Amino acid sequence: MATSWPKKRRLIGAKVQRLDGPAKATGKAKYSYDINRKGMLHAVLLRCPYAHAKIKSLDTAAAEKMSGVKAIHPIKKVGEELFWAGEEILGLAADTEEHALDAVRAVKIEYEVLPHLVKEEDALKNDPQTVSPVGGKRNNVLAAKEAASQGFEKGMADAAVTVEGSYGVPTICHQCLESHGLVAEWNANGELTVWASTQAVTATAAILAGHFRIPANKVKCITHYMGGGFGSKFGPDIQGIVAAELARKANAPVKLMLDRASEITAGGCRPSAYGKVKIGATKDGKVTAYEVDCYGTPGVGLSDTVTFNALPYVYPFEHKRKHVRIRTNTQLQRAMRAPNHPQNCALTEFILDDLAAKLEMDPMQLRLKNLPQNDPNAMQNAPHSLPALRHTIYTREIEIAAALSKWKEKWHPPGKTPGIIKHGIGMALHTWTGQAVPQRNECTVIISADGSVTARTSSQDLGTGQRTVTALVTAEILGLEPEQITLQFGESPNGASSGSGGSTTVPSQAPATLRAATAARDDLFAKIAPKLSAKAEDLVIERGKVVDRASGKSWDWKKACAALGEEKAQATGFWTAAESNKPENKDVSSSGVGGVQIAEVLVDTETGVVRCTQIVAVQDCGMVVNRLTCESQVAGGVIMGLNYALFEERIMDRVTGRQVNPDMEFYKLGGIEDMPKILVYLHDMPERGVIGVGEPPVISTHAAIGNAIFNALGVRVPHTPFTPERVLAALAAKGGGQ
Amino acid sequence: MKNFTYYRPKTAEQAVALLDDKWGTAELLAGGTDLLDLQKEYIAQPDKVISLSGIERLAGVGVGHITGRDDAAGKEADKNTWIIGARTTLAFLAEEPNLRQHFPALTTAAGDIGGPQIRNMGTLGGNLCQRNRCWYFRDEHTHCLLKGGDKCFAIDGENRYHAIFTQGHQCVIVNPSTLAPALIALDASAEVLGPKGKRTIKLADFFHAPGSAREREHVLAANEMVLSVTLHAKGLKNASYEVRHKQSYDWPLVQAAVAFKYEDKKARDVRIVLGHVAPTPHIAVAAAKAIEGKEVTEATASAAGEAATEGAMPLSQNAYKVKLIAVAVKRALLTAAGQKKYWEV
Repeated sequence: MATSWPKKRRLIGAKVQRLDGPAKATGKAKYSYDINRKGMLHAVLLRCPYAHAKIKSLDTAAAEKMSGVKAIHPIKKVGEELFWAGEEILGLAADTEEHALDAVRAVKIEYEVLPHLVKEEDALKNDPQTVSPVGGKRNNVLAAKEAASQGFEKGMADAAVTVEGSYGVPTICHQCLESHGLVAEWNANGELTVWASTQAVTATAAILAGHFRIPANKVKCITHYMGGGFGSKFGPDIQGIVAAELARKANAPVKLMLDRASEITAGGCRPSAYGKVKIGATKDGKVTAYEVDCYGTPGVGLSDTVTFNALPYVYPFEHKRKHVRIRTNTQLQRAMRAPNHPQNCALTEFILDDLAAKLEMDPMQLRLKNLPQNDPNAMQNAPHSLPALRHTIYTREIEIAAALSKWKEKWHPPGKTPGIIKHGIGMALHTWTGQAVPQRNECTVIISADGSVTARTSSQDLGTGQRTVTALVTAEILGLEPEQITLQFGESPNGASSGSGGSTTVPSQAPATLRAATAARDDLFAKIAPKLSAKAEDLVIERGKVVDRASGKSWDWKKACAALGEEKAQATGFWTAAESNKPENKDVSSSGVGGVQIAEVLVDTETGVVRCTQIVAVQDCGMVVNRLTCESQVAGGVIMGLNYALFEERIMDRVTGRQVNPDMEFYKLGGIEDMPKILVYLHDMPERGVIGVGEPPVISTHAAIGNAIFNALGVRVPHTPFTPERVLAALAAKGGGQ
Repeated sequence: MKNFTYYRPKTAEQAVALLDDKWGTAELLAGGTDLLDLQKEYIAQPDKVISLSGIERLAGVGVGHITGRDDAAGKEADKNTWIIGARTTLAFLAEEPNLRQHFPALTTAAGDIGGPQIRNMGTLGGNLCQRNRCWYFRDEHTHCLLKGGDKCFAIDGENRYHAIFTQGHQCVIVNPSTLAPALIALDASAEVLGPKGKRTIKLADFFHAPGSAREREHVLAANEMVLSVTLHAKGLKNASYEVRHKQSYDWPLVQAAVAFKYEDKKARDVRIVLGHVAPTPHIAVAAAKAIEGKEVTEATASAAGEAATEGAMPLSQNAYKVKLIAVAVKRALLTAAGQKKYWEV
């Protein structure tokens, strides 16, 4: 049967306050970190203090005798090589966290300390004398990826104007407010329950079942509330597995949550990207060619640190691109909110403003001139897709952002304002997908005879407002209020769901909820119609009541449900990418968004201190489900992007091979006083169906701020974070600045 | 965390009696904003933790009846003498209106420290005696000079926040006290209690550049404690200005505190003290000299700022701080003199 959103929508698209707000604000909401089980032990991990070492000997005898120690679980063996400072060696559980921390320090371990490289510029040399042994081939600089479009050479040759620049973004860390970890508990039947801080409830359960070789239905993962993952929490991780191992050995529940330093050094990072970029254009600002040669470090991993096939970003320039991965003795990169798109955005958007300056053009006009055209094929075959609409969407969003930011009044040629404190305004564009995932996502809606309604799913609410979205959709279909829906969220036995990554949860879950609520309603009608002396097909929902269109009679919701007697009305709905692609389901969920952000800054040219005063964020995401939490998502993305622009940087020490700022003191994150006014505008396009919005708003904030600083100073600060030191250095290179 | 014995004496004398004559085995606990971290991070592992929370007279600000003299001069001195207990919180210092009237350098500095939680717990004495924030010192696995190691890792390492007045120092930390430059500029002194009784130390002489695990960032003996700080209201123009990367919850990159008499538009007895630029608060003699006897204008303040950079020997990554001290001194002088704050728009 075809699925579609109701034509008349009362709740969908309205502003609905998040239902778990009061529970979170009062502390009633229990996060995994808050779970304390009877007889629970506390576990910690012993981590390698060196960036590269071999274990010569390992003796846990003294540690085992320490006060309160209940179990030790080895991870690495004697003779094994460790490749980054923070790599896990063993786990230890004790009666208190303090005892565990003391005991882990009593493990006698001898290392053969080996040479390391933790800085990209050192590893980039790939000097056979200093080469850092990461991985099998012991090669720091992996083979370059290279590609060029056919028209690149001609495009560069045709350019009337060219600009070159070097730009870069450092590695930053996830810094989840709730650190990684879980509480593991086995029962007498060999069943495992974990309370995990995870973005993937069902996958976490499945990975644990696989690890312990027990049936999937013997593992339950619970994530009722979650304190941030941003792409770094897709499974139990090593600490989750070790906690469950320790719990089994000690025959007691075990809590293992990472401390702040571990969270930062081992909990994930967004990789760096540094590149030389060259751009060519006609005199009137039509870009003819773009070239980028960039590198970055995935740590000990192998992944790209940019989205190679999306360079240049957003704009379809003739291009030549090269990317080199530099392996270093640092933690493996993980997905972070729109993985690699912010790097692409910086490597594309900065040089556009530098080009506009050389052409003496307004950079907004330059962008309008170079937007991708609507794809004629897509216009025919998929008229609501981003390729079919991209020119239309970006043009409209730029218009909206320009009006909200008063761009025309505020923009001025770069560096042309007088005074010590200089104002600047800058912009950047971004894109993302955000579609339903291939995996099955389920939601079950149950209506009881007392009128109560439960919506149940294994899917997780990371703090994004997913719970409220599920309640809102259910309430819309059943003519109720969101607060009337009881939500059972984040428990793996509640059906199929996928991890919350790629901005896929709303587009995967909301249609499943729509189907479940619709089918539960129909089940209700079928069951109560005979008792109400009506035909099921004549029954409809109106706000708070069931109406018989044939007789004109109506029953309020509770009364109608009472006719269920001892029965329940119930249905499970599911959604997948395949369902989304079926013609009869078109425009229920979709993929592909564009967004525009405009930043304003005040730069103190004497101190180099940058204050971002306003960000306008215009974002589309198809059909807006909950306008309030959707706006919050955008504001949250902007805040994260602002931190990327101004504050965040992983700082590695060349000699010790250790991160010197694994804390919240010198790993800087803005506070209230550092926040700008954030104006969010949702470019609502309900005809496109639901698209995820979690990631896109984080992508272009740093680029917009970087361009605003350029506009203020007339000189490029090429690398984030835009610290006082870097601003002053850029001004000095220009020759004094003021 | 190593197990320790917790003491809560009722008097300062009892507290001092519990202290040892060498560093490391006993620690005084006031607000705990520093000590708790140091213990949890295995940097400090004392056997004894001596809480000061039971010692009533360490908290609060006293004015008057200080000299005990009944004559007019004595009464006048009393009225202008401020004694601030060591356990007075930073929040109190930041918000006390009378203090703000006389000593804006101090109250501004106090209000700029950390965030509300830190200021509600952190104390005057703790701020003066806290350990430094060098990230090598604070890393359990880095065996630096101050932890008995044989090298300072910052000198050739990551030193963007370290000292720029590095002459003769084996360890290039910056003193972390933001109150200290203001107090030194205001010519404050500290009353200190040891086993042999009380002594008074000028704040200008209070700090020390440590170079080993046997030393701290100040001159107190291991068995001494700060009781109070004394200030005299002398009608000085004074101000503190810090340059910071973040506006919320951050350490200053540099700080300048200034105090001077300002009569007939001439600055006299100028004291300019820089914070977060050297292992001890740095008294900028040349800067004070540059503006002594002059009217405070953008030009003279700027010249004093330039003079404040005299002798700076920055490390590989912190030359930018040299530029910043010139600006901080200029802005502190202009603020103290009541000039327009051109940097606030």
